[in-house]
Amino acid sequence: MTLRVYPVRLMLRGLGTLTVTLTALVFVTFALSSLSPIDPALQLVGDHASGSSYAQARHELGLDVPWPRQFARYVIGLAHGDLGTSRSTGQAVREDLERLFPATFELATLAAIVAAFAGIALAVLSARRPNGPLDSLVRIISIVGNSIPVFWLGLIALLVFYARLRWTGGAGRLSDAFEYTIDMKTGLVLVDAWRSAEPGAFRDAAAHLVLPVLILAAYALGNVTRLTRAALLGEARKEYVLAARAKGASEARILWRHVMPNARGVILTVLALTYGNLLEGAVLIETVFARPGLGRYLTSALFAADMPAILGAILVIGTCFVTINGLTDLAVKLSDPRTS
Amino acid sequence: MFVVAQSLDDLVSLDPAEGFELSSLQAFTALYQRLVQPDRNQPSIVRPVLAANWTGGVRSLTFELRPGAIFSSGNPLRPEDVIFSLSRAVRLNRAPAFILNELGWTADNIDRHLLKLDDRRVQITWSKDLGAPVVLNILTAPVASIMDEKEALAHEAHADAGNGWLRSHSAGSGPFKMRRYIPREALVLDANVSSPGDAPLLKTLILKNVPDAATRRLLVEVGDADMARDLGPDQIDALGGTPQVKLLKFPSAVIHYLLLNTANRQNPALANPALWEASRWLIDYEGIADKLLRGQFQVHQAFLAAGSPGSLDETPYHLDVARAKAILERAGLGQGVRIRLSVFNQPPYGDIAQSIQATFAEGGIALDILPAEASEVYSQIRSRAEEAAWLYWVPDYFDANSTASAFALNLEDGTKTLAWRAGWQIPELSAESRAAALEPNAEARATRYRAIEASVQRSSPFVIALQARTVIVVRRPVTGYFQGLNADMAYYDRVSK
Repeated sequence: MTLRVYPVRLMLRGLGTLTVTLTALVFVTFALSSLSPIDPALQLVGDHASGSSYAQARHELGLDVPWPRQFARYVIGLAHGDLGTSRSTGQAVREDLERLFPATFELATLAAIVAAFAGIALAVLSARRPNGPLDSLVRIISIVGNSIPVFWLGLIALLVFYARLRWTGGAGRLSDAFEYTIDMKTGLVLVDAWRSAEPGAFRDAAAHLVLPVLILAAYALGNVTRLTRAALLGEARKEYVLAARAKGASEARILWRHVMPNARGVILTVLALTYGNLLEGAVLIETVFARPGLGRYLTSALFAADMPAILGAILVIGTCFVTINGLTDLAVKLSDPRTS
Repeated sequence: MFVVAQSLDDLVSLDPAEGFELSSLQAFTALYQRLVQPDRNQPSIVRPVLAANWTGGVRSLTFELRPGAIFSSGNPLRPEDVIFSLSRAVRLNRAPAFILNELGWTADNIDRHLLKLDDRRVQITWSKDLGAPVVLNILTAPVASIMDEKEALAHEAHADAGNGWLRSHSAGSGPFKMRRYIPREALVLDANVSSPGDAPLLKTLILKNVPDAATRRLLVEVGDADMARDLGPDQIDALGGTPQVKLLKFPSAVIHYLLLNTANRQNPALANPALWEASRWLIDYEGIADKLLRGQFQVHQAFLAAGSPGSLDETPYHLDVARAKAILERAGLGQGVRIRLSVFNQPPYGDIAQSIQATFAEGGIALDILPAEASEVYSQIRSRAEEAAWLYWVPDYFDANSTASAFALNLEDGTKTLAWRAGWQIPELSAESRAAALEPNAEARATRYRAIEASVQRSSPFVIALQARTVIVVRRPVTGYFQGLNADMAYYDRVSK
């Protein structure tokens, strides 16, 4: 009975956290926007526009009322599923997000999977012989992955693998031959290219994804490797490992049956945080590879003081973070009896 | 298929009554036509496009519509479409509406100014003191694009005259029609074979958003793009040894200038003509144009861009620190002048600001650079709160009046021209600007404008320094692309590869 009720209670608590977090996010963003030196109306109509066009723009943007009223209007709209119209794309924010989020989701998920597998594998290799040559090499790899600017790495990768070697695709999600003919129903380019049955489309989509995914994964790899390694080494120093070793258990069994299950809480948390960060959008990768995504959308909106777009993007990112954190907590609690 | 790698991040709307950004203005030339447009080779000559001809009256013009002209939808062009398009732009009152407001057109009176005479003729009238040549040039502006009323109204929602739909669709008669617009990704255009005039040579034109200049360079180098726009000097240099590409350089009407705000009472030196004169000798014009910005600008010191009718092409000023110091000494400004300079926080403004900061310092003037977001700088200027700013100017339509009425007109009647923003009191010069706008003879007009420019060049709180060049990279053997002086004059219809 308790087991059946528990997930429901957890879900209700999660929904409560989500609501409170999103409300606070929207409120704080709205309040901070009132301090912005950027005039959204002037940004929209430009410097040459007449006074009446400017005044009309201020009115249409709702800027001619105090911000608490603007906030109330936004919340009422939100309750009706209306996220407003982006001033910088001229489109409904909801449509923009429906088009952009799948692109970010696809890129972030693939990068997170690569980073998780590679990061855990490197951490295990590293933790087997702490301070050995392999450990040093892994530490160098993780530091390099974390410290090289991704835009520079992206440009160099494009120059070498796209422009010189022609092994990968270049800018965009697909070549121009496919880009505007394939129906992007799901917004996930691999899925849509596969469904289109156009010869070569899936291969083309994959060729355009490989560099951004690997570069994002390389960036995330550092954190995953270092924190997983630290968690494994922390467990490996405990007495139950010594006891297992005294009983004659093999190193592989100690690692996979004893150390790894006890370190899973930390590992799951690290992976969740990494995934959450990737879902925020990788503005530099999206810019260099001319890929649509949430990161560039939010950044452009910030520069244009485009509040509906900023709030829409923040709501999506906030929802992702809260959901991932909630699911991680649930996974840790369900898999680790000590935390139940 | 012809692919152009460029930034489309500025594009807000593809409705000609609303869009007023570089990318949308260039797209309008491909998607829409106007009654009259500048001749692409001799832009000072206005040619009939959707009009067959026109006749002038007292503050009126009567246009006979081009026989057989149809929109990309197949609907024929009617006087109702002309009236709908122009009145709609005035009523919507979006960013570019001020261009039509210059005729005295407002939402309240526009119906009186647009008249259908019969099924082939439409008459327009205006109330402001403007000669017919200026009015014709105003009608060449993208905001005066003629659209298919039936198509636009078929997609009307909430009495928006089709505005929501036209932000991402087209209803024009230009050489191309819109197949698809994906915001911040691409604008895909197909040939409009029924376009009045010749059909374009390209079947498909893709304007692809590639925000990073280095990536644009790679795309054109590899051949995945046929043209790349907005490459920086570094990218252009890097392409120097690539035989597959060639550079196209077109003069642009974009003018860069220093504005000194004489209305700022906290810094009285700004209102001193000696400071204006000294500033003219404290800018390294050639150094900025040739070394710092490497061919993307040319030295130009008058408000009408070289190539425009009436442009003054003399460049009497150069960097001469000793002369500037002597001028300042004579005026008692030899020591302690300090000016806050507002600039946009993006290239190339930071580089230009640092250059003039260094040369002004040699002359004894300390410039404090205040970089800020463009709208923040404009907010300061509109409220006359800044001390000085490095700005650029783009004419709104291809006529000297567009620029002269900004730099040399301050009637203190509530119109916030650049001269008003600089706090510059110029009743005589304003009268001359008004008279030039009424002059019917083209040569006499040009002479009048050259005299006004000379006056502004000699002594004014504007130090006009540079004229931009548009540098475009194309793959060989692309031919036929032409770009005119004004922002909207991007012609893709004769392009082939």
